[in-house]
Amino acid sequence: MTTATLRETAEKQFATELAALAKADDKPRPAKWKLSPWAVVTYLMGGKLKDGTAITPKYVGNQRLMEIAVATLATDRGLLLMGVPGTAKSWVSEHIAAAISGDSTLMVQGTAGTPEEAIRYGWNYAMLLAKGPTRDAVVAGPVMRGMSEGKLVRVEELTRIPSDVQDTLITILSEKTLPIPELNEEIRAVRGFNIIATANDRDKGVNELSSALKRRFNTVVLPVPETMDEEVEIVHRRVVQLGKSLEIPAAAPALEEIRRVVTIFRELRDGKTTDGKSKLKQPSGSLSAAETISVITSGMALASHFGDGTLKASDIASGMIGAIVKDPVQDRVVMQEYLEGVVKEREGWKDLYRACKEVL
Amino acid sequence: MSISLHILGIRHHGPGSARMVLRALQDLKPDAILIEGPPDAADLIEMASDKEMHPPVALLVYEPDSPQTASYFPFAEFSPEWQAIRFGLKSRADVRFIDLPRSMRPSGAKPKTADQQPPQRIDALEQLAHAAGYTDGEAWWSRLIEERRGEEEPMAVFDAIRDAMSSLREKFAAPEFQSSRDLEEVPREAHMRRSIRAAIKEGVNRIAVVCGAWHAPVLTQEFLDKTPAKEDDAALKGLEKRKTAATWIPWTHGRLAFDSGYGAGVTSPGWYEHLWVHHDRIAERWLTSVARLMREEDLEGSPANVIESVRLSESLAMLRGRAAPGLEEFTEATLSVLCAGNPLPLKVIERKLIVGEKLGTVPSKAPAVPLQRDLEATQKSLRLKVSADDLLLELDLRKENDLARSRLFHRLALLEIPWAESQADSTRNKGTFRETWKLQWKPELSICVIEAARFGNTIESAASARVAFEAANAKSLPPLTSMLDHAMLADLSQAVASLLQAIESVSAVSADIGNLMEAIPPLAGVLRYGNVRKTDAELVTPIVRSLLVRVCAGLVPACTSLDDDAASKMLDRINHIDASLGTLEEPEFSDMWFDRVLALGDSQTHGLVNGRCWRLLFDARKQDPATIGDRVALALSPGNDPEKSSAWLEGFLSGSGLVLIHDARLLALVDAWVCSLPPDVFERTCPIGRRTFGSFAAPERRQIGEKLKKSGAPTSGPSGARSHAHESDYDAARGELVLPILRQIFGDIQR
Repeated sequence: MTTATLRETAEKQFATELAALAKADDKPRPAKWKLSPWAVVTYLMGGKLKDGTAITPKYVGNQRLMEIAVATLATDRGLLLMGVPGTAKSWVSEHIAAAISGDSTLMVQGTAGTPEEAIRYGWNYAMLLAKGPTRDAVVAGPVMRGMSEGKLVRVEELTRIPSDVQDTLITILSEKTLPIPELNEEIRAVRGFNIIATANDRDKGVNELSSALKRRFNTVVLPVPETMDEEVEIVHRRVVQLGKSLEIPAAAPALEEIRRVVTIFRELRDGKTTDGKSKLKQPSGSLSAAETISVITSGMALASHFGDGTLKASDIASGMIGAIVKDPVQDRVVMQEYLEGVVKEREGWKDLYRACKEVL
Repeated sequence: MSISLHILGIRHHGPGSARMVLRALQDLKPDAILIEGPPDAADLIEMASDKEMHPPVALLVYEPDSPQTASYFPFAEFSPEWQAIRFGLKSRADVRFIDLPRSMRPSGAKPKTADQQPPQRIDALEQLAHAAGYTDGEAWWSRLIEERRGEEEPMAVFDAIRDAMSSLREKFAAPEFQSSRDLEEVPREAHMRRSIRAAIKEGVNRIAVVCGAWHAPVLTQEFLDKTPAKEDDAALKGLEKRKTAATWIPWTHGRLAFDSGYGAGVTSPGWYEHLWVHHDRIAERWLTSVARLMREEDLEGSPANVIESVRLSESLAMLRGRAAPGLEEFTEATLSVLCAGNPLPLKVIERKLIVGEKLGTVPSKAPAVPLQRDLEATQKSLRLKVSADDLLLELDLRKENDLARSRLFHRLALLEIPWAESQADSTRNKGTFRETWKLQWKPELSICVIEAARFGNTIESAASARVAFEAANAKSLPPLTSMLDHAMLADLSQAVASLLQAIESVSAVSADIGNLMEAIPPLAGVLRYGNVRKTDAELVTPIVRSLLVRVCAGLVPACTSLDDDAASKMLDRINHIDASLGTLEEPEFSDMWFDRVLALGDSQTHGLVNGRCWRLLFDARKQDPATIGDRVALALSPGNDPEKSSAWLEGFLSGSGLVLIHDARLLALVDAWVCSLPPDVFERTCPIGRRTFGSFAAPERRQIGEKLKKSGAPTSGPSGARSHAHESDYDAARGELVLPILRQIFGDIQR
């Protein structure tokens, strides 16, 4: 594996599971779907098939949410996955696309600079100059390809896209056509085409969706993990996967260390300690599971390259402080209060307290 | 003709059960319908067909001697028992209640509603549900029976239910599942069998029994044959019989709900009613009413979205392998499509649609409720006349009887039975032991009494329950504290405890210092006058302390950046707290308070608040006069914005000008400041000054004027002189220089 890709697409990574599901699946499938809605939900939530193939869970959380998401796509309405960062929106959308269309690559990444062409189509200017506007000179974007091939198209970070460009999606979602006025033609979507958008409504620098666009989506809000154990499970699963693909030689971190970071992030996020006894000030950052994951992985990298290979409090302290203290004045006060009031008092957390104290 | 006995096992308040019962009764055409209900209320059954009777209603069975122990048997329009009663009355069948009479139930059992569901049975339902792949027993039963609209033979379904229940009963017959509840069931089932035997003996041919599904297996003909009557008689032997009375009272959908503590309740009365009323297009109708409700609440709920939510709910049902979407699917589709993922509107939908707010009515000829009797008894013992005329009553709370009357009036006020109205009049000022009330009985008050009856059977317990109910639902402090005031005056120690708890928990999360501040004066009032009232004021002290601690911690930050309106509001709050702490004379409280007042006086905030703080410190002698003088000088020194200075002065002086009369230095400072103002600034600050001085009593103003006159006013020039000086500021000769030019422009107007 000398030229191994950094990250495989979901449909390749889980090809065996998808194939096994397709074989076991005897329920009706909507047009162009590779699996039935039931099988898609099983793929997402995990389970054991009749032939003994184990399906790993892709989403840890409420099964009903996944059912709503899949049922939405079966009704040809667009699906909007909302949530704060780190609630697995993109992850879920990728896996849904992989399971339903067998292809998760038709994707528009939303940024502040996403132009209309990225959503509709562009022109091959050399051809346009040579032959004038013809079908051959049209460069199809992911949406156009999805429409003509009947596949799912993902729009990541919809709320980062400027509002006027966002609204390009309205015609596509309601009329299921994409007009090309220059050619006096239009692309009509084939059955099986649909859009999964992800958005977050809390971050800085987002463009609120227009009501017209919102109306054309069914919204599923992915919550932050409900229980401590769920969150630890999510973090642990991802950290192990990342460690493998990044080839970090450090041993997989002890669950205990993950649990400490998750505890700290949860307490600060909820504004109270887990025992519910004391209230805490909340920092300005969102402290999502994604940030927990990056704190742990960077700690693992530190431990393996500069330490003795096992994750210690000193390895995670700097990453953790960096994630919590986003505002140098207010968040620092929050963190200091938290360190002195909670971390210091907690049994067995002395090492963490000292390590944090050094960095802060 | 042979006797036929049919057992219809149902779920209390299940619309599907009700439908099946109705169809089964139409097929069977029974001569007698025996219903699991209290025989104590046998005389009241006929009233169910009264024109004025609209469910939800409840049968109330109580002991006249101790009305606080009572049982409620609620009926909704969609309750199978209700439909069976109505059918029986219409078809002139003999309708009887066959449950164990309330009069024979062991006394001492705590008051309860008709909760014929021991907890084990719910677990049992759960087990059946799990076997069928459902997560929750209620949802499973709902799906299987209540949302059923098939046209299959109803008796076949009843037989199937009975079979399922009888196997469950076998499983749970083992001793380890036995509880006291089960033991209570033995005589009940024995009594039901005895009643059935009696009906058979009378020669009734076709008998239909409507009972909870759980009891169905032990009421069948085979079971009757198997169990000798003697055995049942033995089970019923030795149960003493007490006197009971019964009546109909109005009920609400909210109190049918499981959450309200009603054992046999359902989670979604509103949804069940929807299922009962509508026969087709369930999804379309339900989601349309959701959208209409959302539009009423000023939220978006377009028909286009209704269409999409119907489609999503159907596709969800398909994915879950169900024939038709149910409440779960509708709620999820509502959240996802109509609410765009925002869970807040769901709360309103839950309250208004899924549970519902329907209130029933009962015929006016229904027997008086125990609450009414308790009220009459109390009125008699307190020698209060009930009349339709206005009656003014002065109470001296030092007298035992008057105190009890006052308590009654306050309790009635809490129950929203406005018979006595409190009159705030001149006598109030004469002492805290006086109260004046205006009494007038109006006929509609009887209805208020009936409505209040659902909270309890004595005035005291009902008022307590009502307060506890409101306290549990309160979200902000002001209503809680005003209720506390009432509850204290009404001497409801139980209610006071629950209110204090609610105040504690609401104030812990309240970030609004203003609300916290406003909560203190009424509580302090309670503390101050608690002794006259003989109420246990010791409960209140810790609450006042914790509120004061919170207020003191947040006072200074809460006062930063106040505009004029906010500042004057804050001024009122500070004044009120100061006044009420003054009456308490608790050194601990006032030390805490003045410490913060001092900090606030020095902090950067509106001049009005700063000034007032110093005045409070001055009045309370917390600072020596020299320091206060320095402060006044500092606030009025020329470096300050004059408008801020005048606001400061208003805060400092408002209310009383005595301070200026007694302290010559302060008067001189104020005087010098006024004189130093340039004319335009003086004009701007004049209204504030007028407002401040205008609030003083006339003699005070006169004295201040005289003092100023006497002092010879060395620093103050008479204003006339000032305006003269102002006029002389311009040079007439230079002014005239422009006249020729002006004349050229405007022509010679002079002439």
